[in-house]
Amino acid sequence: MPGVPAQVQQFIDALVSAPPLEGYLVVGAFLFAIGAWGALIRRNAVVIFMCVELMINGVNLTLVAFADYLPGAGGLGVSYAVLVIAIAAAEIAVGLAIVLAVFRSRRTVNVDEVTSMRG
Amino acid sequence: MTLAFAFLAGMTLVSALGVVLSRSVVHSALFMSGSFLGISGYFVMLNAPALAAFQVLIYVGAVTVVILFGIMFTQKPQVRRYRTIINRQFWAGFLVAAGVGCFLAYVLAAENWGDTKAGNGPREVAAFGRDLLGVSQGAEIFTLLFEVASVLLLVAVVAAIVVSRRKMGQGVDRGVRE
Repeated sequence: MPGVPAQVQQFIDALVSAPPLEGYLVVGAFLFAIGAWGALIRRNAVVIFMCVELMINGVNLTLVAFADYLPGAGGLGVSYAVLVIAIAAAEIAVGLAIVLAVFRSRRTVNVDEVTSMRG
Repeated sequence: MTLAFAFLAGMTLVSALGVVLSRSVVHSALFMSGSFLGISGYFVMLNAPALAAFQVLIYVGAVTVVILFGIMFTQKPQVRRYRTIINRQFWAGFLVAAGVGCFLAYVLAAENWGDTKAGNGPREVAAFGRDLLGVSQGAEIFTLLFEVASVLLLVAVVAAIVVSRRKMGQGVDRGVRE
């Protein structure tokens, strides 16, 4: 493009270029950490499930980033991500069924109050 | 691309913080679907458009609806005070999670990944389908994994029905005694 200073051209090139692999990995790691924080501090069982889903999504992002950026991966990380999504769906179905069963017998989903298995 | 990356990072991480810190459970569920949408945008950027479609269908659609059903069955949608929704380990949990996140980010960023270049992903849906079904070279194990995943889904659905079914003469619905 004529008439554009070199620095501006450099800046535009940096804006349209692909971000490095480490960017995706760091976003995935922080998504995992936020999910872990929520699973540690929240009291509501349903919210704890949401936070576990966030952690699973952070790991999925890491898998897909590796599949796209590493030549030796052969793009198979995407297929593993599909399997992870299927297993996470199974987990959320069984988990919410357990939450409903606990709610039915105890009238609460507060995990601090469900203590019948405490030794 | 960098601009889209920064936008999606902000959307994903801010929505994730919204899940953890929102005082209403319904808002948490909606923030969660926003975070999943950001992740599906990342999948489009990473040459996996079919996986992005799966993400929108399964997570943004199905999982959010199932969780909203769970919320609907188990609690009144109301704003609660922080003391009732968050246990006493707020700052301890924050320190642990921040430590884990910073450690993971440091290890992943400091590792030498060798010759990395974008564009190795199976961009064509046909290639992705061959990988997923174990037809392509080097992906034979996925034939087995695909079948195991389908059996697992069937078992999980049956288990969900069995676990959440109301036994005869046991338990009450909200407000309605049998």
